[in-house]
Amino acid sequence: MAGDGTSLEAAHASVKALIAVKLKYLVPMTIIFMVGYIGLTILAGFAKGLMGTKIIGSVNLGFVLIAFNYMLSWMLAIVYGRIAADKFDPLAAKAAAEITGRGN
Amino acid sequence: MSITLGIFIVILLITLGITYWAAKRTSTTADFYAADSRLTAAQNGFALAGDWCSAAAFLGFTGLTALYGMDGAFYALGPLVAFCTVLFLIAEPMRNTGKYTLGDVIRSRMQTRASLLAAIVGTVVVNFAYLMPQMAGAGVLVRLLTGISYDWAVIFVGVSMIVYVAFGGMLATTWVQIVKAVLMLSAGAIILVMILSLVHFNPLTLFADAEQKYTAKYLLPGNYLKNPFDQISLGLGYTLGLAGLPHVMTRFYTVPDAKTARRSVVWVMFLAGAFFAGTTLFGLAAANFVGQDVIRAADKGGNLTLPLLAQYLGGGKGSFGGDLMLGFVAAVAVATILAVVSALTLSTSGAIAHDFYVNWVKRGQVEGKQEVWIARVATVVIGVLAIALGILAQGVNVAVLVILAICVAASANFPVLILSLFWRRFNTGGVVGGMTVGLVSSVVLATIGPAMRGADALWPLVNPTIASLPLGFIGAVLGTFMWGRDAENEQRFDAFLLQVHTGVAPG
Repeated sequence: MAGDGTSLEAAHASVKALIAVKLKYLVPMTIIFMVGYIGLTILAGFAKGLMGTKIIGSVNLGFVLIAFNYMLSWMLAIVYGRIAADKFDPLAAKAAAEITGRGN
Repeated sequence: MSITLGIFIVILLITLGITYWAAKRTSTTADFYAADSRLTAAQNGFALAGDWCSAAAFLGFTGLTALYGMDGAFYALGPLVAFCTVLFLIAEPMRNTGKYTLGDVIRSRMQTRASLLAAIVGTVVVNFAYLMPQMAGAGVLVRLLTGISYDWAVIFVGVSMIVYVAFGGMLATTWVQIVKAVLMLSAGAIILVMILSLVHFNPLTLFADAEQKYTAKYLLPGNYLKNPFDQISLGLGYTLGLAGLPHVMTRFYTVPDAKTARRSVVWVMFLAGAFFAGTTLFGLAAANFVGQDVIRAADKGGNLTLPLLAQYLGGGKGSFGGDLMLGFVAAVAVATILAVVSALTLSTSGAIAHDFYVNWVKRGQVEGKQEVWIARVATVVIGVLAIALGILAQGVNVAVLVILAICVAASANFPVLILSLFWRRFNTGGVVGGMTVGLVSSVVLATIGPAMRGADALWPLVNPTIASLPLGFIGAVLGTFMWGRDAENEQRFDAFLLQVHTGVAPG
């Protein structure tokens, strides 16, 4: 069941590479949604006047930013799904095969 | 009343039928806690939507928007953003490292009894803090809708939940969630179309009418959350706390692999997100059509806004259409509570029976067949306790418990889980430290805050997450350093990382 020494070592290397790729994409994506949402709550707390600026008819900036956050979350979900399938899954599959000793 | 009761009895019969079907397919421990990990992404996505939209979301967001404008829309947006956290950081590692519970993940990382105990405490506190207000809410709602007394309403909800979970385990709980999610989304879609047809399919009219009726202040932030730091605190609590709710995390064990877990999160983000976005429009429509005075007269907190709006849309009080719509929405609200309390009970049963009794007391030395029975017994005990607490909670201000559930999840469970998954040096001392500091600071700040003490509050914020979350992280880091280097644990981290990222455990 367990792989031999060399293929486990290969698995560790593959996972290291996978983590590096994950960090490259997930850190900016996490910053984007945290800044988007927490920024919105900060504006709501401290810049009420600005949030009340009319944008379309009676809809003010606050509601526009809320709508923008919905779009952003949905977009990030789709983007994450794509990136995970294209970039993460092949590396994870490679590492998994190496762990079980059927690697390469 | 009779229409509500009729629709509700139909829903109840369907869910009991599901339970009967699920009970025949629930024989092993994996069946009971994780539906044998055989759900599809769409099924789990709908069930997650069912989990996520508690009665507080279904009824509360619409009410808050109707009464307080933009602050209600903030509440509704939070849970969707929270799913970004779940999607990026939690869902796949949970699926890859655990079996049935949060305790499983902590245990497989630390392999110590103290850390398992800390995870159990975190789960049980959050679940009961969440369960009790749901039971109390169920009591009020069912009494209001059917006329039976509060105590009987709580008993009825409690017994139904025990039956679903004890007999049908995760499979029944999941399908009850799915049925409820489908009903809830259909109710939302019907209401949305009816509202839009009234404003000639121009949603901007809803904002213009609201401004005209209640002045521009109504559409500004800060009508509900007066303290700016409360807005931020709530935002933090939502984005990170919902990722620390055990009954939601355990849903990722019901799918076969990380890819399916990921896809199920994308499903729920579109399903629940669309519904939450809808509640903002429902709230504005209710303020315009039903009116804030009528909403307040029915329930001070605005929890009957959506049923009242549905009644108006159906043709008004006394009309057949109005009664039908009211009955439908009210019945879905009760189904919502039933589904959520069932998930909470199952998750608590996992912490008590699987984590505490089997893995902590018996050190894993329990046969599979026996473990299922232990889980069922635990379910009944937890259910009876929930009924008792629900009855005791009548008339008590349970709002503080809702805040506490989210806050403890964000300040204790979330830091411990994240550091377990991603920090090599993190050790048992860190688990215990993070859990203790996060839990104690949440409880203390919530009880001395305005939710509990009103004007006499010793701490200004309703939601303490902005302070307790950093404290929880500090506790976890300090605990780790005070515990000292744990070479064996750090070495094991490499193997653990393989499992976190691939789902395959070496050796």
